[in-house]
Amino acid sequence: MDHFPTNWGRPRNDAFDPYGTYPIHQRPATKDNFAEGVQRTQQPIVTGTSVLAIQYKDGIMMAADNLGSPPPFLPLTQSDRILSAASYGSLARFKDIQRLHQVGNSTVIGASGDMSDFQAIQSLLDEVVIDEFTQGDGHDLGPAEVHEYLSRVMYSRRSKIDPLWNSILVGGFRDGKRFLGYIDLLGTTYSSPSIATGYGAYIAIPILRSAVDGRVDELTEENARNLLHECMRVLFYRDARSLDKYQIATVNASGVHISDQVHLDTSWSFAEGIRGYGAQTQ
Amino acid sequence: MPDGSFAHPQQRQFNPYTDNGGTILAIAGADFTVIAGDTRQSEGYSIQTRYAPKVFRLTDRAVLAVNGFAADGNMFVKKVKQRLEWYRHAHAKDMPLRAIARLIQTMLYAQRFFPYYVYNILGGIEEDGTGAVYSFDPVGSYEREACRAAGAAQSLVQPFLDNQIYFKNQKAAAGQTHPTHLPLSDVLSIVIDSFTSATERHIEVGDGLEIFVVVTKGHSPQGLESIRNVQEVTTRADTDRMFVIRRELKKD
Amino acid sequence: MEEALEQPQLRVFLHPLLHPALLPVSYPRDIRPTWSSIMEYNGGSVIAMVGKDCVAIASDLRLGNQALGISSNFTKIFPMTNRIFLGLPGLATDVTTLKETFRYRVNMYTIKEEREIEPETFAHLVSSTLYERRFGPYFIEPVMAGLQKAADGSLKPYIAATDLIGCLNFAKDFVVAGTASSKLFGVAEGLWEPDLGPEDLFETISQTLLNAVDRDAYSGWGAEVYVLTKDKVIKRTLKGRMD
Repeated sequence: MDHFPTNWGRPRNDAFDPYGTYPIHQRPATKDNFAEGVQRTQQPIVTGTSVLAIQYKDGIMMAADNLGSPPPFLPLTQSDRILSAASYGSLARFKDIQRLHQVGNSTVIGASGDMSDFQAIQSLLDEVVIDEFTQGDGHDLGPAEVHEYLSRVMYSRRSKIDPLWNSILVGGFRDGKRFLGYIDLLGTTYSSPSIATGYGAYIAIPILRSAVDGRVDELTEENARNLLHECMRVLFYRDARSLDKYQIATVNASGVHISDQVHLDTSWSFAEGIRGYGAQTQ
Repeated sequence: MPDGSFAHPQQRQFNPYTDNGGTILAIAGADFTVIAGDTRQSEGYSIQTRYAPKVFRLTDRAVLAVNGFAADGNMFVKKVKQRLEWYRHAHAKDMPLRAIARLIQTMLYAQRFFPYYVYNILGGIEEDGTGAVYSFDPVGSYEREACRAAGAAQSLVQPFLDNQIYFKNQKAAAGQTHPTHLPLSDVLSIVIDSFTSATERHIEVGDGLEIFVVVTKGHSPQGLESIRNVQEVTTRADTDRMFVIRRELKKD
Repeated sequence: MEEALEQPQLRVFLHPLLHPALLPVSYPRDIRPTWSSIMEYNGGSVIAMVGKDCVAIASDLRLGNQALGISSNFTKIFPMTNRIFLGLPGLATDVTTLKETFRYRVNMYTIKEEREIEPETFAHLVSSTLYERRFGPYFIEPVMAGLQKAADGSLKPYIAATDLIGCLNFAKDFVVAGTASSKLFGVAEGLWEPDLGPEDLFETISQTLLNAVDRDAYSGWGAEVYVLTKDKVIKRTLKGRMD
């Protein structure tokens, strides 16, 4: 009998004893995940990739795809790794993960990184918004306040060496002013006319900056939407952990609107002639 | 490994610090102080934003520049401002510059075993009306100086300042001595030259330059008002005057 | 019950040839000496600048053994021809080797071609000499200054520098190398301007070098400056801080 509940129901470590032929007392000791006390988040598990956001004439716009990627393996310890690699095939893939979330009446947040941490953050924010509402004093949280709150949460968790493994964008429109900010697992913050997390910071930012910087007041809603659509397409082509289904959030004077899933049309005919993409002829 | 495993057990260690680049600089004059910093914030080879202030007004006569890990820097400034507000409520006046300097050393040393990864430069006007610069290391060691550069381009800027502010390796003309303090216009030119030079040769410096100037109460701002892109941020009439000058730096 | 024996502490003599880059891969990991870089073993810095119809090259005079100062008259600049000067900051043992190597190769060139080597050609000689040792390099970052003969017979300022495996950097303003390089870059960027005459160029390069090495623990202890003009070479030895 294995007395460690954390080992129950897990596949047997077949690298050491594939057919269970050893007598029980000779089997390698199974590992207790709680033996060293509480384990803190040391790596993300199910992750979301890039989030893109820009400021435009009437507000801000944010886009994120709907994929939650499982890790290829969970390299926790030496003995666990084989077990984890084996369990890869059985893991589900999450194809309609919501990575954009409305907070209050004038703010939207989008996250990349660990999705369970992000969902915990959503609960945290929902609670704050409700607490603020129940005060009944007519005050509520705008994007700047949400950004500040999140920066404090993220910084205090990093200072406990127990980070929430995310990069979060906060966008909003309130009292005629746009807001777009960033917070990550270290508590680092900043604002900019265009921001992207993950691979988007390398692939989408050059496109976004050349279109947005210094032209925020000329950019129409349609321009902004097309720009983000184009960047999401580029990201789908180049980021292996992305999906061709995404959502777009708009915040302007008329409030917060998170779209239905948008599908990206892609063409792979170019790949035919490139060695390494299509069918190989030699 | 081809089977998806690793030759050595993989342990990812969370690193609570990062370096966000940038450079800060402060120079004290006889009756003024100049505190400046670039506005680029970066991580690795990525520019996160072209405008993230590193220089902050603390009181009517004190300005703090912070450089290093931006999250620590912002949190540190927030806490210093909070302590200064408490002081104001307790004593009905602003904390003097030398007291702010000691406060900062205490606050930094309090975190001796999990330090703020931040280099601080405090500039402003002393109680006797002289310009002053205090510089700190991340764990609170500090001293008062006439000029100091810190951050990514410290090694580029500091020897230039030694030469131009302290006249190091320069001989005065026969029968003359070097001035102990330079006029404001000279100091501003040196500050701007320092940052354009640092921008040219250091990838983490650039985008924008923010220069704070504090001038002793009742003293002339030496024609500062007529300079390009200057903005006065003095809050009350009977105090030292404070100005902000904003300039563009190269964005590449 | 057997007690675990404590590992004997192995004292490692910090000889340059024990640098990780030079050791076989099989060299035991736990007794590999670890120092920052072999480039900082002896210290020293060189800078070269372009002026109007003249060039200048200058270096410090320190030779150290890491933090310990050994000599204050260790010259790092050598004449290759009457109008090419070569600075060799880096590992002192390689300074001697390369100085002799280049003397030999320049002589061979002179004999074979029956003419003096030009600065640009010499720069490529330096580059290819270093690249020959691509996977076991000399720990030197050469800086050179010279006057190049143009088609019309006039002399044009020429400066260049390479990294330790010979990647050429031909600059129009100034080149720097050595342990104080970042400081030299900072000061030079602030002080240098185009079309300086020989005397102004001398002042500029001297101020740049002295102020840079004063902020560098591994460079200093005096300096020497060469200014090359079309009709003479001026050599001056500078007094510097000795701390």
